[in-house]
Amino acid sequence: MTAARSGRNDENEPFVIYPARRVITVNPAFPFGEAVAVSGDRILGVGSTDELASWGKHRIDDCFANHVIMPGFIEAHCHVMSGGLWNSTYVGYFDRRDPQGLLWPGCTSIDDVLERLGKAAADMTDDSQTLLAWGLDPIYFPGERLVARHLDTVTGDRPTLILHASGHLATINSALMDRCGIDETATSPGVARGGDGLPNGELHEPAGMMLAGEAFADMMKANRSEQARWRYANEARNAGHTLLTDLGTTQLWDPDQLNNWKKVTSDPTYPARVMVAMSNLFGATADPAELAELCVKLKSEQTDKLRFGIVKLILDGSIQGFTARISWPHYYKPPPGHIGNGMWLTAPDQMADLVEPYHRAGLTVHCHCNGDEATEAFVEAVEQVLERYPRWDHRHTVQHCQLTTPDQYRRMAALGMCANIFSNHIYYWGDQHRDVTVGPERAARMDACGTALASGVSFSIHSDSPITPLGHLHTAWCAVNRVTASGEVLGPDERIGVPDALRAITIEAARQIKMDAEIGSIEAGKLADFAVLEDDPLSVDPMALRDIGVWGTVLGGVLQPAQISDA
Amino acid sequence: MNAHTIAVTVVGGYLGAGKTTLVNHVLRSSDERIAVIVNDFGEISIDEDLIVAADSDKLTLANGCICCTLADGFAAALMQIRSAGTLPERLLIEASGVADPTQIAAYGHTPGLRLDAVVVMADAEQVRRQANDRWVADTVRMQLTAADLLVVNKIDLLDDSREADDLCDWLAGLSPGAAVVRASRAAVPIDVLLGPRSASDAADTREPPTPGGAAASRWHVVEDLFESQTAVLDAPVPMPVIEALLADLPDGVARLKGLVQAVPAASADDSSGTDAADATACLVEAVGRRTSMTPHATDPTQPPPRWAVSLISHKGSLPPTWLARRLHEPK
Ligand SMILES: [Zn+2]
Ligand SMILES: [Zn+2]
Repeated sequence: MTAARSGRNDENEPFVIYPARRVITVNPAFPFGEAVAVSGDRILGVGSTDELASWGKHRIDDCFANHVIMPGFIEAHCHVMSGGLWNSTYVGYFDRRDPQGLLWPGCTSIDDVLERLGKAAADMTDDSQTLLAWGLDPIYFPGERLVARHLDTVTGDRPTLILHASGHLATINSALMDRCGIDETATSPGVARGGDGLPNGELHEPAGMMLAGEAFADMMKANRSEQARWRYANEARNAGHTLLTDLGTTQLWDPDQLNNWKKVTSDPTYPARVMVAMSNLFGATADPAELAELCVKLKSEQTDKLRFGIVKLILDGSIQGFTARISWPHYYKPPPGHIGNGMWLTAPDQMADLVEPYHRAGLTVHCHCNGDEATEAFVEAVEQVLERYPRWDHRHTVQHCQLTTPDQYRRMAALGMCANIFSNHIYYWGDQHRDVTVGPERAARMDACGTALASGVSFSIHSDSPITPLGHLHTAWCAVNRVTASGEVLGPDERIGVPDALRAITIEAARQIKMDAEIGSIEAGKLADFAVLEDDPLSVDPMALRDIGVWGTVLGGVLQPAQISDA
Repeated sequence: MNAHTIAVTVVGGYLGAGKTTLVNHVLRSSDERIAVIVNDFGEISIDEDLIVAADSDKLTLANGCICCTLADGFAAALMQIRSAGTLPERLLIEASGVADPTQIAAYGHTPGLRLDAVVVMADAEQVRRQANDRWVADTVRMQLTAADLLVVNKIDLLDDSREADDLCDWLAGLSPGAAVVRASRAAVPIDVLLGPRSASDAADTREPPTPGGAAASRWHVVEDLFESQTAVLDAPVPMPVIEALLADLPDGVARLKGLVQAVPAASADDSSGTDAADATACLVEAVGRRTSMTPHATDPTQPPPRWAVSLISHKGSLPPTWLARRLHEPK
C-alpha cells in the first residue's frame, strides 16, 4: 500500500451503511449482500444492515436502496485519446455518448455524416478555426466513398478534416487541400486520387495525414490536454467504471505528460483511478532496461489514483485493417493488392529480449496481439524468458487475443499468462469478420471467452476505447450474447454466462494489472469502488444487459453520480 | 535541383542487417550535412565520436545536424531538424527492422523533401534463412523488393565468391530493378549510397573538352568494386536520348546523376547543337530502377553550371566511354 488511508482510524467519524436492492460482491465466498458499509475510502464490510451496524457508530444512507451495487468496473485496455477526441465532432456509425453524457446518434449514411458536419460548421463562430471530426468508418458504407467534393457542399470555405475510426486515414475538404497545397502535383503515395486522377481529399497513413499540417497535429495534441484526461474519466464514471488503463499512449519519460497525469489525479474530485502503462510504442529515449527502471521508480511513487507497473508492447496490426498477423490460410477476402498477411510492428524474434528487462524488473507485460501469429510470438517469447529467468505470478497478458487458438490458451494457462479479450469486436465488426476478413469458421471462434474459461486462463474483456465505446455493461453483453450489429449470433459456443462476464469486468481485470488485492470485488478492507446500477445484471434477460442504467460510481467512498444530458 | 529541398535516403532491412553500421558509416564518410531520424533510440547507437551532445529527445551530431526519433511523428521530427539551426542537405531515415521501406519512403514526398533512394540492407549470412522464416519471410521479401539499392552486407562471411555470386543473383531475382551492391561492415562507397557529390563537382574534374563540342569522358576506380565515368556535355542533349538512357540502364549501374540541358526532339537535328533558348536545365538521376528527370532552376546572375552526367557501375561491367557514347551518339 502506498498512501495512508483514512480507513477505520478515526473512531469518532461514523461510517456509512448503504442498503441496496442487492450487493453483488464478485467474492465467491460471500456472493451477495443487502448492504455495504464504507469507512473513509474503504469497505468496512458487506452483509445485512444489522450485521454492519454492529461495527459501531454509523449512519445509514438510503440513496442506493433501489440500486444494485457491484464492484466498480475496471477497463484494462483503453486509451486517453478517448477523452481527447471529443474536442472534435463525432461522425461514427454507431450511437455514442460523450463525456458530458450527451448521446450522439450514429451517422448511418454518408448523408448523415454530411448533415452532422454541416451543422457543426454552421455552429462555429471563429472563421479561422478548422472543423475537426472523428470516427468515420467507410467499411459500413460499401460501394460509396465520402470524398472532398461531398464535404465541400456542407463545409464551404471552412477547412475540414475527418479522422477515420481506424486512425490510418483522414479525409479533408478542398479548402484544407488548398491551404496545405495538396493539388495534382502531389507526389506522395499517401495522397489518394479519384477516378479523374486528381487528389480526392483522402490522406493515407501518417505520411499522407501529416500533409494536412496543423489540422492533424492539433487533433493529436488535444489528447495530451488536461481536459482530455478529465473527459476520459468522466466518460468512464458515466459507464460505471472506477479504474481505467492508459495502455501505451502516454510517453512516461516526458515530464510534461507525467505531471499532467499527476495533476489531474491529485484533484480529489477526479472520478477515476488510472493505471498508466509504460510503453515504447511510439519511440523511446531509452532501451527497455532503462524504461523498466523508470517504471519501477514510478511504481514506488504511485498514489491511490495514479498507478504504474504494467508495460505495453505491440506485435501486429488490426484484423479489419488486414494488418494483423494471421496464420495460414491468412485472410479470407483481402482487398485487391493485399500482400497476403498482416504486418509485424515488432520483430517476433526480438520479442524475448524486449520482454526480458521488464520481466526481470517484476513488471507485467501486456502485448497487443490481434492475430494468432502474434499471440504465438508473444507466448514463445514469454516461454523463453521464463526459461532464462523463472518467475512466479508474472501475469503477462495477451491483449486483444482475437484469434488466439485453443492450443495457445492451453499454453497460456500453463505459463501463468492472462488474456484480455476484445469482445466488442463481435458486435462492431463481427459481420465483416465473417463475410470478409477471416471467414465464417474462424469468425465463430474469435474473441473466445468460452475457450479461455475452459482452459483455465484468467481473462478480462475490453473496449479499446476510443476504438469502440467505453462501457463494460456493453462489453459484457458482447461476451455473453455474441450478437453482431446485423443481429446474428456469431459462434454461440464461445458465449459465456453473465456471472463469468461480471468477473471478467471486475476481479479478473484487476488481477491482470495486479490490483486484485485492492479492488475488483466488494470485500472488507478493499477500496470502496462501486458501480451503482439501476437494475440487476444477474436477473435481467442477458440481451438486456447493455440497457441497464448506470447511476454512477462510488470511488474511494466518494459518490460520483453519472452525468446524462438527455433523458 | 531546388537548393532548398532536402534529399531523403531511407535505410531499411531486417534486424541485424547492418542499418546502424551504415548510418554511422555515412555520417563518418560524407561531407554533406546529414540529419538522421530513427524509429527509436533503443534500436540505434550512433557512434559516440559523432555526437557532440545528447538530449532526452535528440542527439546533436558533430556535423551540426541532429538525430531524433519518430516518437511524436514525422512532422514533429522534421520540425526539430529544421529548428536545429543548420538546415541539412540530406535526411537519413532509419526504418525499424520490420518496417516496410516503401511506407517510410512516402515521407520523402513531404514538401521541402525529395526522395533520393531506398537503401535496403541484407545480411549475407542470414538473408536466405530470413526470407524463408516461418514468421518474417514475407516481411523480409517485401523489404528486399522495396530496394533501389540493395546492399548485401557481411559478404566477407560467406565461404567463397561463388556463394556470393549465387546469393546476389538470387537477391536480384527477388528485387528486380534494384542495384545490388556487396559490402562488408556496410562500407559502401559514399558516392554509390548518396550519389556523386554533385554533377558540377564531377564536371570540375573533367579533362579539357574535345574540339567540336564532343563529350569528354573521365574514368577512374571508385573503390575495389566500383568505377565511375563522367560525360561532360558541351551541347544540349535531345530529350529522347535522356529518356532512353534512363529507361534502359544496364544491370551494372548503381548510380547515375547529372545536370543536362535537354532540348525537344525536333531541335536535336540542329547542327549547331547549342540552341540554349530551347533548352531546359534538368537534373537527371537514377538509383536502381528509381529514375527521375526534374527541372533545375538556374540562377541567371551566376555563371552557367557545368553540364555533365556521372555514373557509378560495377567494375568491369561497362566500357569506360559507354556513357559519353550514349549521350553523344544515340543509336
Ligand atoms: Zn491494441
Ligand atoms: Zn489499444
